[in-house]
Amino acid sequence: MSAPGTDEIVVDHLTKQYKKLRAVDDLSFKVRSGRVTGFLGPNGAGKTTTLRMLLGLVTPTAGTATFGSQKYIDLPDPVREVGAVLEASSAHRGRTGRNHLRMICRAAGLPDSRADEALEMVGLTPAANRKFKGYSLGMRQRLGIAAAMLGDPKVLILDEPANGLDPEGIRWMRDLLKALASQGRTVLVSSHLLGEMQLLADDVVIVAAGKLIRQGPVDEVLGDLSGGVQVRVRTPQAAELTAALAELDATVTPGADGSLVVHGVEAAAIGHAAFTARVELHELSTERGDLEQVFLQLTAGKAGIR
Amino acid sequence: MSLVNAELFKIRTTALWWIMAIVLVPLYAVTLLINWANSNVTAVPDDAGVTDTQSAQIEAALQPINVATNLYTTGQFFGILIVLLLSAIIVTSEFFHLTATTTFLTTPRREAVILAKFGAAIIIGVLVWLVTTVLNLIFVPLIMNNLDLGSQIGEPAVWRAIGLNLLAFVLWGILGVGAGVLIRSQIAATLILAITYVVGTAVVSLIFLLLSQYVAEWINNLQVLVPTSASQLMISGTDLPGSPPRWVGAVVLIGYAVVTGFLGTWLTKRRDIS
Repeated sequence: MSAPGTDEIVVDHLTKQYKKLRAVDDLSFKVRSGRVTGFLGPNGAGKTTTLRMLLGLVTPTAGTATFGSQKYIDLPDPVREVGAVLEASSAHRGRTGRNHLRMICRAAGLPDSRADEALEMVGLTPAANRKFKGYSLGMRQRLGIAAAMLGDPKVLILDEPANGLDPEGIRWMRDLLKALASQGRTVLVSSHLLGEMQLLADDVVIVAAGKLIRQGPVDEVLGDLSGGVQVRVRTPQAAELTAALAELDATVTPGADGSLVVHGVEAAAIGHAAFTARVELHELSTERGDLEQVFLQLTAGKAGIR
Repeated sequence: MSLVNAELFKIRTTALWWIMAIVLVPLYAVTLLINWANSNVTAVPDDAGVTDTQSAQIEAALQPINVATNLYTTGQFFGILIVLLLSAIIVTSEFFHLTATTTFLTTPRREAVILAKFGAAIIIGVLVWLVTTVLNLIFVPLIMNNLDLGSQIGEPAVWRAIGLNLLAFVLWGILGVGAGVLIRSQIAATLILAITYVVGTAVVSLIFLLLSQYVAEWINNLQVLVPTSASQLMISGTDLPGSPPRWVGAVVLIGYAVVTGFLGTWLTKRRDIS
């Protein structure tokens, strides 16, 4: 058994300053065990840099990233504590999948048999003796997950694991990660694919431009969004309806396809207002905000190339 | 020790080691034939236009014991080149194939990884030395008998040369790992090391020859600071006239191995892996 609490990830005022770029900026959050936590942000938000600092590969400029109170480098047996999948293409092209795993087993003092068990777990047994260069992107991701699971760790960290997986592979991984979390493990998954996170994650940590935007359970982050519920209205008399709704203190914004998006009042109230104003309605539908919209709103203006 | 084992496993599970072996065998054969031919020349005539030092060197080199030490260390030049490249590639391939992340995740204490790589490089050096030495012990007595010099196998100087040859292989292995850390690009590292080692030796000899002739004679003694010259000096059987003593070669080579080793470990510890 390891020291208590090493299965909680603690990021505390973490900062990484490259020459001109502040990739991670005073970032603090916690990741609990027994749940899948989505680490979300647009490309270039500092997700990978944060994970690399957590794993001792990159030195922080300031702050700490620890497992409980211990740095990765100070863990007595890191492979049995933490498993990580960082790059899909991180194996020697000329080495077989099985030998890639055995190499890690030898360095970590694990028996070679763990390599075959891990291959079995990710469904790569038929390709075990094939060289890495012959692996598809999906197979490479599976091999990465196998490598991370060799030491049966309590914490699993994955950087963009859905990249390159086909829909079947994505579902497989979703089920696997949920199962691992339900066993009490800590699972931290970074992604910019928000729809996938909505299906997978229990908690989310949203970052943009190296800063924390929001953290919390998925439901809470979704619900908290101001105007989390919006109503889409389609009418040939947009001007009349907008005037009628203005009296109800509703916010009306033109939607993409000529429809109106209404915040602040419910569908029934809009229908009533339209009826009394003798406005013809072609559509009146309530839309729940999904993570994608929350995300775009929260990170608006902060995404993109820095 | 399990880390050294893992490093050797990494080499064993790629095509690299047998490619190097295939390259080494013909090079060894050619070197052996050249050494044989060079041992066959007779003493230089007096009017050959060479300086006294040079003719003394040639005469010394033609003594049976020096012929023997030269032949029994056949394969040093190319064997060490192979060890040097393999040792550098042990490091550079981690970055070339993006396996550094996996390696340092498995073993976050990076100095342990680098130490294991030094260990693996030393073992490779010993293995290549063993192969060339066994081949030499098979073929050289035949050549010596052919030259009517006797096998000389009982001479302590021969065994000292073989032992120092081992030291050279080991030190060059350490040097290779250090160089691999300093030059992280695989292509750059192999090219720079191979060119410096093969062409550099000749170029450096020429530069030192010109300097010693046109500037000052003593500059020639600095040639021992060049690793390849140091290694050559270290294994030469008896102290040749006009050269620094043999131990100077050993000290210089050990110096390079220690400096690249420490610098390499220090750099690896503080670098960001991305």
